[in-house]
Amino acid sequence: MILIVEDDRSIATLLVRSFEQEHRKAMIADSKTSALRLLQAYPFWAIILDLGLPDGDGKGLIQTIRKKMNIPIIILSARHEEAEIVACLDLGADDYVTKPFSTKELFARIRSARRRMNDAPLEQTLYTAGELCLDLKTHTLTKKGDFIKLTPTEFSLLAFFMQHPNQVLTHKRILKEVWGLGYQTQTQYLRTYINTLRKKIELDTTRPVYIQTESSIGYRFSQFQE
Amino acid sequence: MNHHYFVFFITLGCVTFFSHLLRSHLELINIALLHLTPVLVVALRGNMVSTFFASLAAVALFNVLYVPPLYSFTVYDLFYIWTFFIFFIVGGLVTFQAKKVRSIKIKEILLNALSHDLKTPLSSILGNTTLLLEQPKLTPHSQQEILQEILSSGEQMHRLVASLLDNARLQEGESALKMDWCDLEDSLGVALQEFRHQKTELKLSIPHDLPLYWGDQGLLVRLFVNLLDNAFKYSPPHQTIDIKISHMPKEFHIRFFNRSSPIAPAQIESLFDIFYRLEGATDIKGNGIGLFICKKIVQAHKGKIEAFSLKEGISFHITLPILKHPPRLSKEAL
Repeated sequence: MILIVEDDRSIATLLVRSFEQEHRKAMIADSKTSALRLLQAYPFWAIILDLGLPDGDGKGLIQTIRKKMNIPIIILSARHEEAEIVACLDLGADDYVTKPFSTKELFARIRSARRRMNDAPLEQTLYTAGELCLDLKTHTLTKKGDFIKLTPTEFSLLAFFMQHPNQVLTHKRILKEVWGLGYQTQTQYLRTYINTLRKKIELDTTRPVYIQTESSIGYRFSQFQE
Repeated sequence: MNHHYFVFFITLGCVTFFSHLLRSHLELINIALLHLTPVLVVALRGNMVSTFFASLAAVALFNVLYVPPLYSFTVYDLFYIWTFFIFFIVGGLVTFQAKKVRSIKIKEILLNALSHDLKTPLSSILGNTTLLLEQPKLTPHSQQEILQEILSSGEQMHRLVASLLDNARLQEGESALKMDWCDLEDSLGVALQEFRHQKTELKLSIPHDLPLYWGDQGLLVRLFVNLLDNAFKYSPPHQTIDIKISHMPKEFHIRFFNRSSPIAPAQIESLFDIFYRLEGATDIKGNGIGLFICKKIVQAHKGKIEAFSLKEGISFHITLPILKHPPRLSKEAL
């Protein structure tokens, strides 16, 4: 069952209908309090969370949910609220879609978040995506079998992406995980290395297929599973 | 602005001419009042600075020509210093009031045009949905067509609302800009995503070593989206659109070119005005706000945008000065 936390009736109904098409039941909570009540009573498969709720900011809900349970949280938000979206992702939300959204895209996000939650982190050393194959043990990258030379930073950046496929990664998080603490605001590093990395792995750097830009939020590495 | 000063000097000239003709019949105080006219003319159109200079010029001329001793700046009477202050205060009050009236007028125009631009797609959505509800026996093909129509009207409204939100942010001035290091190629790429269903071919030319640019990424994406939207809408089908980004030591250049029927030079100038639409373009879906916002975005980055009508089409040139040079990152060994 999916919990839809949304105070706009027409959007909530649209979501319930689309979930029915996918053979998923859904429940609607139109406020923070009713969402918390429902969460106590039922085991949910995923939560769709709208940020503007009548009884307060939906952000507070993320922390409460994250402390107690392991359910994918997908944020539903307006396009111009990038700062809000980033704040939610940093608080532990799994993904986001902006209004107006396509329900197909929303399902893809839920499924991918769900998959990440189920798959226990493996001690994996080999990662593949499309024509790329990254080996952590031998520290090598191949594209269609040909070796591609990467600098140490390019390699750790790509490794971080390939370990978190189809997932939105905020600038802050990438900088912290790849460059380390104290680099969270140094976007020029990130932009420069994304650029050089794209030149090595993408066919068309203006229309990249692997490293997708999520404007003002971060990046998403696409693994072509859907 | 120059136009205001021109009007001011003409009025001042006329006032001086008449005062001179009638100087023997008029008292000094009447001549002083006549000299207030050009100040008011400027006050109604310009800002406080222009009002200040207009008062200064009018009082100086009045002083030199009519206040004894004639043809000198010497002022014996403190009275004439006061004249200047009174001129400036009256002018200032008029400027303040005129500005208020002007902004109300702009809001009215904006509201009218907006309601029109929102109503058009909205009536298409409402009309088509009603049709679907009332005519259940339509063929699947025409149903599909109607739904496509609804979708495209919805997208049109979405783009308009997004533009307006960006415009609201631009109104707040420089403080609202979210400046950060941007990759212009990446911004263009994000903008292209919005048009991935477009079949028109694009010819891109972006140098391999394009440096980072200090700007507002969200607004730069909007700049590209609006320019692309414009190019797709006005270029004939199956014609390529050329986009070129290049960089110089002190600035970035962005060029958009699309084929179209020639545009008159007079029309080119007003392309960037709010709610301006090309004559005869009423059948092309859109609103007159896209290029206006482009101009505002470029101005917010201290750059300039120009349009040129060429024989085969129209070309947009954008110059963005480099506001901050990216720090050199040490090169890593492979």
